[in-house]
Amino acid sequence: MARISYRLPPLPISVLVVSLLFYQSAGLNSEGQYLLDIKSRIGDTYNHLSNWNPNDSTPCGWKGVDCTSDYNPVVWCLDLSSMNLSGSLSPSLGGLVHLTLLNLSFNALSQNIPGEIGNCSSLEFLYLNNNHFESQIPVELARLSCLTALNIANNRISGPFPDQIGNLSSLSLLIAYSNNITGPLPASLGNLKRLRTFRAGQNLISGSLPSEIGGCESLEYLGLAQNQLSGEIPKEIGMLQNLTDLILLSNQISGPIPMELSNCTYLRTLALYDNKLVGPIPKELGNLECLKRLYLYRNKLNGTIPREIGNLSSALEIDFSENELTGEIPIELKNIAGLSLLYIFENKLTGVIPAELTTLENMTKLDLSTNYLTGTIPVGFQHLKHLIMLQLFGYIPSGVQHCKPLVQLHLAVNGLGGSFPSDLCKLANLSSLELDQNTFTGLIPTEIGQCHALQRLHLSGNYFTSELPKEIGKLSQLVFFNVSTNSLTGVIPAEIFSCKMLQRLDLTRNHFVGALPGEIGALSQLEILKLSENQLSENIPVEVGKLSRLTDLQMGGNSFSGEIPAELGGISSLQITLNLSYNNLTGPIPAELGNLVLLEFLLLNDNHLSGEIPGAFDKLSSLLGCNFSNNDLTGPLPSLPLFQKTSISSFLGNKGLCGGPLGNCNESPQLSSHPSDTKGTSVRLGKIIAIISAVIGGISLILIIVIIHFMRRPVDMVAPLQDTPPSSLVSDIYFSPKDGFTFQDLVVATENFDDSFILGRGACGTVYKAVLRCG
Amino acid sequence: MAHLYLLSVFLSLLLSISPSLSSNSEGNALHALRSRLSDPTNALQSWDPALVNPCTWFHVVCDSNSHVTRLDLGNSNISGTLGPELGQLKHLKYLELYRNDIGGKIPKELGNLKNLVSMDMYGNKFEGEIPKSFAKLKSLIFLRLNNNKLSGSIPRELTTLKELKVFDVSNNDLCGTIPVDGPFASFPMESFVNNRLNGPELKGLVPYDFGC
Repeated sequence: MARISYRLPPLPISVLVVSLLFYQSAGLNSEGQYLLDIKSRIGDTYNHLSNWNPNDSTPCGWKGVDCTSDYNPVVWCLDLSSMNLSGSLSPSLGGLVHLTLLNLSFNALSQNIPGEIGNCSSLEFLYLNNNHFESQIPVELARLSCLTALNIANNRISGPFPDQIGNLSSLSLLIAYSNNITGPLPASLGNLKRLRTFRAGQNLISGSLPSEIGGCESLEYLGLAQNQLSGEIPKEIGMLQNLTDLILLSNQISGPIPMELSNCTYLRTLALYDNKLVGPIPKELGNLECLKRLYLYRNKLNGTIPREIGNLSSALEIDFSENELTGEIPIELKNIAGLSLLYIFENKLTGVIPAELTTLENMTKLDLSTNYLTGTIPVGFQHLKHLIMLQLFGYIPSGVQHCKPLVQLHLAVNGLGGSFPSDLCKLANLSSLELDQNTFTGLIPTEIGQCHALQRLHLSGNYFTSELPKEIGKLSQLVFFNVSTNSLTGVIPAEIFSCKMLQRLDLTRNHFVGALPGEIGALSQLEILKLSENQLSENIPVEVGKLSRLTDLQMGGNSFSGEIPAELGGISSLQITLNLSYNNLTGPIPAELGNLVLLEFLLLNDNHLSGEIPGAFDKLSSLLGCNFSNNDLTGPLPSLPLFQKTSISSFLGNKGLCGGPLGNCNESPQLSSHPSDTKGTSVRLGKIIAIISAVIGGISLILIIVIIHFMRRPVDMVAPLQDTPPSSLVSDIYFSPKDGFTFQDLVVATENFDDSFILGRGACGTVYKAVLRCG
Repeated sequence: MAHLYLLSVFLSLLLSISPSLSSNSEGNALHALRSRLSDPTNALQSWDPALVNPCTWFHVVCDSNSHVTRLDLGNSNISGTLGPELGQLKHLKYLELYRNDIGGKIPKELGNLKNLVSMDMYGNKFEGEIPKSFAKLKSLIFLRLNNNKLSGSIPRELTTLKELKVFDVSNNDLCGTIPVDGPFASFPMESFVNNRLNGPELKGLVPYDFGC
């Protein structure tokens, strides 16, 4: 873009030509030098400024640089926005005295804005926003009398606005949000007659809004949200005839809402929420015919909602919630035809919900909850086609304490809040109080001890905190006590065990610590005991075993340590579940747990239990599910069919469990059908039998070898018949003569032991047949 | 005068039966049960039929739809008899009446409890037969009727109860044979001891009810 510089004085053209010829051989001009100096302090990762060549005579062709297009071109525009530039801004900037537009926004430039910028006396538009500039706004900046737009938003600028800022008489746009600007707003701001937009939200600005602000007669948008403004809103604010948006939310502004605001007839958005404003809502606000959004919530406003609010014919959103407004909801609100959002929750409104509200056809969100409204909910709400939210919940009205005959008060699953209504214990007949699943907060008060008739107390699913009061022990009739899913802390008070009638005690999902007192054994009527998901520690007291009516015992998800007491096996009524999982229990699983013949679910996983699963668990005939995973257990699973059918995930993470889904154990097979009460005996017996069998087998084998050996030798020792004459045989044989025959008779009968009389040969000799005469 | 008299009679009749005129049938059933039972330890004291449902009564557990799912009255020194109204508790899963002094016959209407998972009536004085209608208890897993004075035979129809895992009728006066089909194949002998049973049924050879 070319512009004619107005500073060049008119000269004869000849002089000009001579000057040009004279100087054409000179180097880069001074503005170029300044720019090079600026470049030298800038980090240019992507080489955007690569064409900033020192050999050029002027910088006018350089990227981001614009010059005028007359005889003596000067830099009027420097736009280096969004170039990933880092580093600092050189004071040489001050040399660019012809600069009207300087845009360095959306980079990563840091350190301070040089005061030399005050020399850029032509500057009209200064955009330094979205960088990392720090330190203070230089006082010299205030010399820029031509400056119309100043944007330093999203930097790290600290310190206050300089008092001299009022000298920026041309300033129309002052944008400084998201910095660390401190200190009070200078009164001189009121001198900025041309200021239309002033946005300085998200800073650390303190002090009060100066009354001089009324001098900013052009002001349309005033945004000072999220600062530390204090003091009051000056009534001079009403002087701002052009004001369209007043955004003062999230400050510490106190005092009343000035009724002079009603003079700002063009006001469209009034956001004063999250401050400390007091006093009433001025009825004059109803005059603001252009007002579309009125946000006064989270203050300390009191008084009634003025009927005149119904005159806000342009209103789309009205939010008066979280104040201390009293009185009734004015029916005049029905006149705001375009009203889409109406929030008046958390006030002290009384009276009924006007049926006229049902004519507001554009209503999308209506929240009147947590007031003291009475009467019925108008049926007409059902015709509001665009309604997406309707909230009408509240507190328990304190009048309930007068309902003397009240026996049962069941308010579960509502949106009730506030603290526990201790007045309820004035109801002498109250036997059942159910407040579960609401949003009650605070502590359970000591007054609870006065509810003498109370048998059922259900407080689960709220936000109760602090410790259980000792006075709980005074509730001698208490049978059901459920405070699960709250944020209760401290130890379980020993006094609770004075409630001897307790059948069901549920403390699940709180932050209870310490040990479970042995006095638990005194609760002889207890059927259900649920303590899961707390931080209870130390040993499980053996007295739990005395709870002879217990059907359900849930202690998982705590820090219980030590061993599982064998006494738990004495709870013969235990049927629903025995859950000791996710604790720090050590030692063996007591075999006595096998006596729990009614037990359906046994969960011991995620502890440090060791040893074997007792064989006695074969007696758990009612078991439907179990989990022993993540322990240090070894040995075979019991033979109970349930263990064989249970998924392997119930046993994983142990030392050496085997059997069932884990695969066969290496023990002798017949042992699994002989359940024995003492662990290890069956293993040892198997080993003994194996050894004996081996020994017997070995000895037998040796004997067989020896016998075979001996059988072979006599065969070799028998002399062959041909070698030895019969006579030597006769002389070697001796036998005692029998009656009736002599040896001589034998010699004759066998013809001197002739071969024809041989019957056979054996190891002991040769057998001859001799027939002897009788006689 | 006569009108007044009639009116007062009508009103007093109305008042006398009104405690049972709760709109909740399960509460009525349990209230009827209570009227048959003798309860010296006042376990049933909280059973107030004027309440909208029995879910706040002690020893009664309901589900999220306010239907009774558990009745825990084991070991409660209760005597008297049961009646047919218990069969109306259609969502009942656990009927725990063990170790009391309840006598009389087991009502056949208990067979209507189609969601029943566990029936523990052991250790009482029940007499008469085990109802054949128990074959309708298709969800039943645990049936413990041991230690009573039950007589007659074990209904063969019970072999159709596929989910039955534990069956104990020991210590009764049962006769006949022990079924062997279905779940009965896996019940240990201890479940049948101390009766007058003739051992397992011999299929095809001996008539089922022989000697009973």
